[in-house]
Amino acid sequence: MSERIYITGIGMISAIGNNVQESFLSLSQLKTGIGKINHLTTRYKDDFLAGEVKLSNTDLMDLVKDNSPDLNRNSYLAMLAAKEAVINSGIDTKDGLRTGVISSTTVAGMGKTELYYKELFEKNDHLNVLDTHDCGDSTERIADFIGNVDYVTTISTACSSAANAIMLGCRMIKNGLLDRAIVGGVDALSKFTLNGFNTLMILDKEWCKPFDENRKGLNLGEGGAYLVIEGETALNKRNGKPLAEIIGYANANDAYHQTASSPEGYGATLAIKQALDMSNLNPSEIDYINMHGTGTPNNDLSESIASKTIFGEKVPKFSSTKAFTGHTLAAAASIEAVISVLTLQNQLLFPNLNFTTPIKETGLIPETQLLHVPINTVLSNSFGFGGNCSSLIFKKI
Amino acid sequence: MVKAYINGIGCISPQNTIDDNWFFESITPPAGDYFNALEPSYKDYIAPNLLRRMGRAIKMGVASANLAIKQAEIESVDAIVTGTGLGCFEDSERFLLALLNNDEQFLTPTSFIQSTHNTVGSQIALIMKCHNYNFTYVHRGFSFESCLQDAMMLFNEGKENILIGGIEEHTPNFVELNRRANKFQIVPTNTPFWESTTKGIQMGEGSTFFALSKNPNNKSLACIEGVQTLYKPKTSNDILSKLNTFLSLHNLTLNDIDVTLMGFSSDSEFDNKLQEIKPIIEKESSIAYFKHLSGEFHTASSFALWLATKLIEKQALPKSITITGNSNGSIKHVLILNQYLGINYSFTLVSKI
Amino acid sequence: MDALIEKLKGQIIEQLNLAEVKPEEINPDSPLFGEGLGLDSIDALELIVLLEKHYGIKIEDPKDGKTIFQSLRTMAEYIKANGKG
Repeated sequence: MSERIYITGIGMISAIGNNVQESFLSLSQLKTGIGKINHLTTRYKDDFLAGEVKLSNTDLMDLVKDNSPDLNRNSYLAMLAAKEAVINSGIDTKDGLRTGVISSTTVAGMGKTELYYKELFEKNDHLNVLDTHDCGDSTERIADFIGNVDYVTTISTACSSAANAIMLGCRMIKNGLLDRAIVGGVDALSKFTLNGFNTLMILDKEWCKPFDENRKGLNLGEGGAYLVIEGETALNKRNGKPLAEIIGYANANDAYHQTASSPEGYGATLAIKQALDMSNLNPSEIDYINMHGTGTPNNDLSESIASKTIFGEKVPKFSSTKAFTGHTLAAAASIEAVISVLTLQNQLLFPNLNFTTPIKETGLIPETQLLHVPINTVLSNSFGFGGNCSSLIFKKI
Repeated sequence: MVKAYINGIGCISPQNTIDDNWFFESITPPAGDYFNALEPSYKDYIAPNLLRRMGRAIKMGVASANLAIKQAEIESVDAIVTGTGLGCFEDSERFLLALLNNDEQFLTPTSFIQSTHNTVGSQIALIMKCHNYNFTYVHRGFSFESCLQDAMMLFNEGKENILIGGIEEHTPNFVELNRRANKFQIVPTNTPFWESTTKGIQMGEGSTFFALSKNPNNKSLACIEGVQTLYKPKTSNDILSKLNTFLSLHNLTLNDIDVTLMGFSSDSEFDNKLQEIKPIIEKESSIAYFKHLSGEFHTASSFALWLATKLIEKQALPKSITITGNSNGSIKHVLILNQYLGINYSFTLVSKI
Repeated sequence: MDALIEKLKGQIIEQLNLAEVKPEEINPDSPLFGEGLGLDSIDALELIVLLEKHYGIKIEDPKDGKTIFQSLRTMAEYIKANGKG
């Protein structure tokens, strides 16, 4: 149970780039990926901004080199990001060690189902969407794309999904069930989610402004991000090179409301506190927080209050990177885990875009400039519908 | 090795399992094209102000969780872990159809909110005011097995009481689409379900929750010794060799297994590997089946775990589920050997305490 | 006004699936949220759609719901003042 867990590979595709290198460039140049909707077919094309991956389905198909009609945007994003992480880590899944794929998604195959659902009752052309509608599909696509995978499972806990996938990977290694895992999440943009968030009236029609007094809501994004994590034993066996260490994680429930966070951020406080306890760190030893920071009035206030509860008046440097990527739902926590690794590797803190005025109740001010500072530890928060609150802590090697 | 003790079960299925005393006295055939769950009057389990928003999956989930907790006589749990392949499909479909029919206008949030896969788990947390660990697994035929696996890990990590459950619902439209895609069949009652030569599963649904504890108590009905999933095994020999390794971890061989509950689904292609294994297993253990009573669905193994527990509790193997053998009076170990779509295989070992 | 209030009762019961509530039980001046009918923030969003669908009134800021949906009467008054139908 005391096995240390290392991140040894990262892969990511989102509005800010089709791979880690491109993403790093956008982050360093303060270039947001959020803009006008180009690929999604919706009557709200001109009403809302979104963080779309800048590739069409045909482009994505070419990149995965598989023209199977059973693949959808969700699977493409998952396969590409997971493959990048595997290549980056240098692991060989044929070496006899036990490899798991633990993925997460909320929208799954809905992006394709919504295109054909009504015609399915009349024509037989697209009945195969029935096979790819569920959440498990993209996970198995990753497993088959990478090959020689011993274990697969999928998690769906709304916007905290990928944090829970990362956490589960760590736990399975520590419990001796796996030697390493490819963990993360994916969500392609769909009409279903865009309209869903619209009914909740939490979409900003302009660029989202996390932690700003005048924030109006979130911008949806899409993407996939995966990490290869390995137990110390497996890593040593192959003389692999770690990128960062995962030293804390926790999952708690707000149990307050189906969609909203409690005003005092009770669940968030629990998750952060338990992750800190596990990492044996004092709150003052956290150098940077990558906040959930969606830009909705409710989340950012609740998360700010939770931060003050834990850190008192000395809240560490923090930012939400969702103004770069948009809120990518099930992929958010793994995208932010990749960003956290980039922060630790490059000692670069990526800022909170679009911020001008602190929230009245808390007065917290995020970092608004690219900062080159010593960062040894990163706390990353992810919260979701159903009160799901998860926190992860990463450490520099 | 850590075990999980089952202290309470709530099972809503196509059979009368909601009545804890029911034990195959009367069997309900599918009412129409598929096995729909026999649902209770939910007012007995859920407050009306909550009930008004809930879709069937949520109602089934919350009610069966309620039953499991009551039977175990516990007030709180250290974790709530749910599994579902398609989540709250009724709400997803309602929102999707409204979106398509009204060209993305006049949509309301309720069905969108409920369509989230973790709705059942989070509703239970809300009702129980449970701030602890809350996970939802959504991986096809591994959805419920992942819950079990997680529970065993949580016990290993020091947790004491855990609520787990598998939930699945179907809608008439979904059944219709599966019919159009030739994915299901109705199996005539006098043909052996486990020797199917035709394509198509018999679709079912239901929700089964279990109150588990790390240590046995006077409520304990049976214990789960282990669970393992197997993704896309190439041959039936692969399954057998993994099964033997799995049993050896618990110092058992196939010969020690009194009853093997096999996940025949009535689809000849998906059942193929289990059909190949059956002659080997029947030399060592009685064989029973269950999907002719529950139908096939992503979390059908949660129904199988209810069944395994009942067999141990009653020490009887009813004729209506037996394929070969007779184990009445001597049921110590029950093995659930499940498969889903011929892709997701799993072993679950349940033992008498 | 009274006719509109009666009509609203039926529409609210339907939209919010308040199967247990009879129209005559709703007092036009009782609060809709918290006590009274015991509605919550999700219901507020549902009511916003109700106004748009049946009365052609579009509410852009969910915060406005707080004053409009105080009671059936305030809701009816708002519709009278702003509605098209």
